[in-house]
Amino acid sequence: MAILEEKLTAQVGAEQISTFESGNEMAAMAAAQINYHIMGYFPITPSTEVAQFLDQMKARGEHDIKLIPADGEHGSAGICYGAAATGARVFNATSANGFLYMIEQLPVQAGTRFPMVMNLVTRAVSGPLDIRGDHSDLYFGLNTGWVILTARTPQAVYDMNIMALKIAEHSKVRLPVIVAYDGFWTSHQKRRVQYFKDRRVVQQFVGECPTDYNFIRDPQKPVTIGAHMNGEDLMNNHFQQSEAMYNAGEVFREVSAEYAKLSGREYSVLDLYKMEDAEVALFLLNSAAESAKDVVDQLRAQGIKAGVISPNIIRPFPVKEIREALKNVKALLVGERADSYGAHGPNLTHEVKSALQDDKNNQTIVLSRVFGMGGKDFYANDAQEFFNMAIDAMEKGYAEKPFDYFGHVPGNPEKILKPVITPQQGDAYKSGLIEVKMDEETNKLKVKIPPLRMLTNKPKRIASGHGACPGCGIFGGLELFFKGIEGDIVTLFQTGCAYVTTTAYPYSSHKQTMMHNLFQNGAATLSGTVEAFMELKRRGEIQVSDDATFVMITGDGGMDIGMGSAIGTALRGHKLIMLEYDNEGYMNTGSQMSYSTPLGHMTSTSGVGKTQQGKSFHHKDTVQIMAATNIPYVFTGSEAFPQDLVKKGAKAQWYAQNVGPVYGKLLITCPLNWKSEDRYGTKILEEAVNSCFFPLYEVEQGVTAITYNPEEKKKRVPVTEWFKYMGKTKHLLKEENKHLVDEFEREVEKRWQRLKAKHENPWL
Amino acid sequence: MSILPQKNELGFFEIRLESIGGLGANLAGKMLAEAGVLGLGLNGSNFSSYGSEKKGTPVKSFIRFCEPRVEIRDHSPIEQPHIVGVFHEALYKTINVVSGLNADGIVLVNSSRDFDDVKQDLKLEYGTLAIVDALTIAVEEKTKVNTAMLGALFRICDFLDPDAMRKVIRKTFEKKYPHFVEPNLRTFDRGYSEVEFKTYHVPEDAQGKAFTRPLPQLGYMTQELGGVITTQANSILKDLSGSRQGFLPKFERDKCIDCAACDNVCPDFCFVWEEGADKRGREQMFLKGIDYQYCKGCLKCVEACPTSALSDLREMIGYADANRVKQNFPYAEGGNL
Repeated sequence: MAILEEKLTAQVGAEQISTFESGNEMAAMAAAQINYHIMGYFPITPSTEVAQFLDQMKARGEHDIKLIPADGEHGSAGICYGAAATGARVFNATSANGFLYMIEQLPVQAGTRFPMVMNLVTRAVSGPLDIRGDHSDLYFGLNTGWVILTARTPQAVYDMNIMALKIAEHSKVRLPVIVAYDGFWTSHQKRRVQYFKDRRVVQQFVGECPTDYNFIRDPQKPVTIGAHMNGEDLMNNHFQQSEAMYNAGEVFREVSAEYAKLSGREYSVLDLYKMEDAEVALFLLNSAAESAKDVVDQLRAQGIKAGVISPNIIRPFPVKEIREALKNVKALLVGERADSYGAHGPNLTHEVKSALQDDKNNQTIVLSRVFGMGGKDFYANDAQEFFNMAIDAMEKGYAEKPFDYFGHVPGNPEKILKPVITPQQGDAYKSGLIEVKMDEETNKLKVKIPPLRMLTNKPKRIASGHGACPGCGIFGGLELFFKGIEGDIVTLFQTGCAYVTTTAYPYSSHKQTMMHNLFQNGAATLSGTVEAFMELKRRGEIQVSDDATFVMITGDGGMDIGMGSAIGTALRGHKLIMLEYDNEGYMNTGSQMSYSTPLGHMTSTSGVGKTQQGKSFHHKDTVQIMAATNIPYVFTGSEAFPQDLVKKGAKAQWYAQNVGPVYGKLLITCPLNWKSEDRYGTKILEEAVNSCFFPLYEVEQGVTAITYNPEEKKKRVPVTEWFKYMGKTKHLLKEENKHLVDEFEREVEKRWQRLKAKHENPWL
Repeated sequence: MSILPQKNELGFFEIRLESIGGLGANLAGKMLAEAGVLGLGLNGSNFSSYGSEKKGTPVKSFIRFCEPRVEIRDHSPIEQPHIVGVFHEALYKTINVVSGLNADGIVLVNSSRDFDDVKQDLKLEYGTLAIVDALTIAVEEKTKVNTAMLGALFRICDFLDPDAMRKVIRKTFEKKYPHFVEPNLRTFDRGYSEVEFKTYHVPEDAQGKAFTRPLPQLGYMTQELGGVITTQANSILKDLSGSRQGFLPKFERDKCIDCAACDNVCPDFCFVWEEGADKRGREQMFLKGIDYQYCKGCLKCVEACPTSALSDLREMIGYADANRVKQNFPYAEGGNL
């Protein structure tokens, strides 16, 4: 970014304010000022904050973008596409696997030519899972047909978000645009930044939303969107698309020049730092380029002609400018935060090389290094080492090692991981104190469990030393359930707090075998595991006397995005258990609302303020949805009723080993995000059960039984008795929100009465 | 003339806060940075160390200040700070909190101990040590440690304007939580005035503390393929006592009825049981004690306990170590414990 303050002061018309904000805050600020019609989104670190900031601003009445929390990124892309096709202005933000999950939709939107703006807050793609920044997600976007702008600083995030919409909607372009910036380094780092005081300046700059295209918006002009084609036609469609993409390069220059007049900040196609006479240079994307500039200054002081190139736009790829910038450069190192495995260099290395190929006089030696993956920091001396490699190549006249990784270490053989405990399995987990028998008469299981004191002899399945918050409710809940299971378990944890806090490499808090898969796919994955186990056993390739019990653990809203996978698994009848710990939100990513967040409850995307009072719709009844798949056993449980939960664990095991799938939901306390005192975790659950918000029941072979009835025990309390322990419901206790509590109570009562009817009638 | 007392070669005055998630170092860092950037017109940046770790695990917050016209390009973590703020003394066990500190740097520690004791634990040879008993202030005022630490940090960064911070505190709370205004102002002021300093002579040829970038334990020759871990349960090597914020459960064996209610609700599996015989000579389980190495001080067990065998205790240094009952995991021979 070249700051043209001196040059432009006279022309800069619009008043700007200095503030101290992060990249995510500035993306949200630009979106709010533009006042998009729709944002369809799904939380994923580190982009989530964008939706959170927009929700906060909305609660304060600062914009009226309709924020739609999707059921997953695929859904969010669908919402955005549908809205864009209607001719609305549409916005989204995502990262990493969220981006990959929606990627199927991206070429659809580009190929049917509906503009929108999406912020890609770049992060490492799994696996192994890593929440921090690199460009492996961005590189999957290179072939989607979206224009891609790259923003190195929080200031650039703001500026490019404003420019992006104007480019997207330009009549010569009509393509969706990605603004990509570095996860954490740019998204979370606070900097001094400027923004336009009056949002009308921004709105005038982007102009009116174009209406003269073929949209769904006008019923008087019916249209067909998305007809299928043959190759003869698809060639022509894609040629149009290709032309539009190259046009976007030209339009970028125009829009950038116009924006410079308004803001005093100009973004050329390439950000060139001391490249006029550079002999050695680095080509770096986004924040790393900034660090390298400091090193250029040091090298220049030593008389070395060094420079840095960093593109502000990579789709279309600025080949002409790159050829010009590298005309006299003797050695260039392209550093990339992602690899294209097996291609002898990541994507941009090849694009730079191919740009140079067309200049027959070019003599630049190009080196390629993969660095800084998964959030590995890029320090000044790393940039120095890159320059050293380029200088070495310049002096030798060739690159000794054209392509390599940088920053990987062999490791010390003396420090390999050594066993800490002898494996606990098999008999260690057989207490012999739990009896489960099928009662032929009632067609129900009869379970006998000893006093829980006696089961303290049975080791826990999860070890101490995990990184969960103080007072976390997940582990008490899971272990009580596991206590009811005799023998080995094999678990699959979907992404969520239980997974994250128990497996921070190179540590594991799992005593028995555990596998992770992403947020939406645990049930399907464990289906494969259990079937493979059975098949290996059937063929005699493994010798085991007992079958393990297979348990899929999900939570933190995993039954939203993972619903399809769970229902598919239920319908296929695999012998496994799906256990959900429900903490009423996406707590692992910072407490965004999930579909199980109750009405009115505050989360980071269902804020409380002038214009809204927490979540606007009722909680999902996942238990009844799963019961409707007609699997043999469905239950609810809570740490506050331990005997009940241990018994259900025993029944779940019996059904999963002898009949088919089991689903269970545990309500658990999340003190951090429920804003409750750690110590009251169990009490809060007890009140949730006693208020009938979370009834304890089971559906055994289709027959519903309430296993604890607070009315019969004379323990029933109003929901406000539960609310009073939690900061997230504090606002609901105020007189002005009584109507919300009444509405919630009515819903709770409706579901409770329906449940009681089912309890009384086996045919319901 | 510059108001910044010192600058490194890139022109930055740098502060690093060492803390534990939940103590509010992130917010303190943000407020400190804002006071310099928005309040005094300096340029600056602020960020935290990020990971998947939750409340109760070590975190760092970084603040860079520079002259208004200096462009900030460096966004990597601060390795050679002028000031270090330590929010919790339990961090010493696992983290070199003064790593890279300038020879004449200042370390602020939240502690109730003597200068020389703290100096020894920090392995500090020279420079200035500042101590504030932020936890006691926070407990007494029913506020948070970070506000007291912020008060002390403002005293150290004497180029910042404490009145501006007082205004921010007032503005933050007065609308929604007016009853928090006065206690928080008092907390800030007490941090500001109660912080004490002791300077240890800095010799002419004094060197700053060396800093090292921690290397991963494993490399590409020693990682199992695909990141598989075969050493199950090795998280028991971790010490989580630093997650406690001043309190732990005290266990009195003679009042215990061995009902296991505590064990059912403990998120960290701290309760240690042993087999024994009951009065009639039958095999039975007895609660032996608490493994404080893993106790994060949530006190759920105290709520669950039907007798008074478990109770809240304000943690004193040494209590947990003296009263810890080690878990009876089947420790492996040759494990790197």
